[in-house]
Amino acid sequence: MFIEQLVNGLTLGSTYALIALGYTMVYGIIQLINFAHGEIYMFGAFAGLLLVSVFGLNIFVALIGAMVFCMFLGMLIERIAYRPIRGKSSRLSALISAIGVSIFLSTLMALIRGTNTTRYPEIMKIHTYHLGSLDLSSLQIIILVVSALLMVGLQLLIQKTRIGKAMRACSQDLEAASLMGINANRVISYTFAIGSALAAAGGVMVGVYYNAVWPYMGTMAGLKAFAAAVLGGIGSIPGAMIGGLTLGVLEILGVAYLSSSYKDAIAFGILILVLILRPQGIMGKKITKKV
Amino acid sequence: MSSKLKFRLALVLCCVMMMSIFAGCGGEKSDVDDQSIQASGEVIKLGFLGALTGSVANYGIPGKKGMEMAIEEINANGGILRHQVEGVYDDNKGDNSEISAIARKYITRDKVVAMVGDPCTGLTQVAGKIAQENEVVILSAGATSPGVVEIGDYVFRNTLLDKFAAPAVVDWMINDKGWTDFAVITCMDLGYSTGLTPVFEEAIEANGGNIVLEDSINQGETDFTAQVTKLKNAGADVLVFTGYYTEAALIMNEVQKQNFDMVLVGGDGLYGPDLAALGQSAVEEKVIFYCGFSSDQPSDETAAFLEAYRAKYNEEPDMFSAQYYDAVYILKKVMEDANSVDPKVFKNELAKLTDYPGVSGNTTIGPDREPIKSPVCLITIKDGQFAILEKIPVNVE
Repeated sequence: MFIEQLVNGLTLGSTYALIALGYTMVYGIIQLINFAHGEIYMFGAFAGLLLVSVFGLNIFVALIGAMVFCMFLGMLIERIAYRPIRGKSSRLSALISAIGVSIFLSTLMALIRGTNTTRYPEIMKIHTYHLGSLDLSSLQIIILVVSALLMVGLQLLIQKTRIGKAMRACSQDLEAASLMGINANRVISYTFAIGSALAAAGGVMVGVYYNAVWPYMGTMAGLKAFAAAVLGGIGSIPGAMIGGLTLGVLEILGVAYLSSSYKDAIAFGILILVLILRPQGIMGKKITKKV
Repeated sequence: MSSKLKFRLALVLCCVMMMSIFAGCGGEKSDVDDQSIQASGEVIKLGFLGALTGSVANYGIPGKKGMEMAIEEINANGGILRHQVEGVYDDNKGDNSEISAIARKYITRDKVVAMVGDPCTGLTQVAGKIAQENEVVILSAGATSPGVVEIGDYVFRNTLLDKFAAPAVVDWMINDKGWTDFAVITCMDLGYSTGLTPVFEEAIEANGGNIVLEDSINQGETDFTAQVTKLKNAGADVLVFTGYYTEAALIMNEVQKQNFDMVLVGGDGLYGPDLAALGQSAVEEKVIFYCGFSSDQPSDETAAFLEAYRAKYNEEPDMFSAQYYDAVYILKKVMEDANSVDPKVFKNELAKLTDYPGVSGNTTIGPDREPIKSPVCLITIKDGQFAILEKIPVNVE
């Protein structure tokens, strides 16, 4: 049973990780906690649902479709809600703008779809594989594999491509990077696009796996992913992955061996502990400020 | 970071407060006061309590339809004691602070003589205390857990009570189905569920059943993998789940995904069309719940209601439409019996209601002012539709 619960935890954790990546990437570059990120995840889940149920697309095509849709959504949000106030007013204004976008997006979806929970159609036959005492469902395998592929892809993008190099430069010093001829606005826009696409992938997979999509699903998932990003070290990409997986596993083990009532308490308890004991997170670098 | 988080929470709370202020401004103004209502044939108002949006809207929306239909019929037939009746319908979103604001608004601004609802116990308790303080009758059409009529002599309910229904169902599970090992899952942040779980557990123990697993979930969660994995390894014959339909469907989805056989039994909180829509093949003949109303096998009174409801709304009525409909007619009957539309007077007639033949079963208000309704319908899902499994009698000593 322990191994099964561990797999349950990794599955949940990999969806947290996908959302946490968006938080951490945006934070890494413009030090903004993009609270609308959970809602992008929700829009991704609904975009996937629309593509699967109305257009009858294959789930993997729908996954890519939802990612593309949210890429543009993320870029649009950045263009409308964050860029106009960037540099002109304090970071607090951008945060308030993010909260505004978050409320706007979730209520917009509630207006369009109603607040009821809906599900994905039964898109594939779920196989169960028996490995000794461990039962593994094909859905879990798909989620783990797709998340792993996306995370490896992201690492390659960041480490090996020009835009990745530009992102790393911007995260070190946005101003210096622009002085070196990097178009900072474009890099920020791409960062939102990539983070949003990952969140959309998480949204679609959660929709398929748990069979539940509703307009307010982004709020709690967003907060949990935020906790995961802080746990891993906000700003650090491997940190977000590790943070997400750790949080998922701890939550599930908490439910399995303590009590379900502690589920959210575990996530936010960890957030508080990390902030007290190791504010830079697992993978974060300690920043020493010179006075 | 934590301060930013706090900041966000504070902002969200501010928004909620703002919204409740605006919600309070929604209804039309009433300048009629109590005395003038009784003197002339003025309109009397009934306040609707229920959610029209949010996670429990599935109970409120049909309830509102039943109430509207009853009021329309009554007005077409001359009203109550020659007063025309007007329903006031505000959406409480299933939220404790919303319902408190709405109940106060109904009483102080709309001057309602009675409130009908809420379908949820926790919310009814909030509104019940306000109704009692202000001496306005509240007749809940759905609150089934303990702690409602105890609030005071203005608080009533017209619903099948868990304390009568759950033991009848446990008796059926153990003696008719031969299930002896029970897993019980409670929805911890839901008053309905935490109230219902002990009723089931006492009945299971009294009937000689074993509880092999006690577990909990929280409302609004979607990840039940850990609980279901535990359930799979617990060796239970049946799962008793005391929460609502959304979570029940998600639990059964997970059971199907983890590839084992389990029947889920619960209360009428599972009665929502989303159960079949969300659960699909996972809930097909796998979920059984009790309730006081089924559109299958109707009696004569029920048949006329069914026909009128289908003609008006082009859909099947459910337990909540039936109970809200009945609640309005019960209020009419007791006002006529008391020959008064003053809640201080007709509440005494309501306390004496005996064998009222409603569309949701026969209702008697017992000596403890609790309603006794019989029989109980056991409902399951066949081909994506609610279907009656059995009608079992309720024994009240």
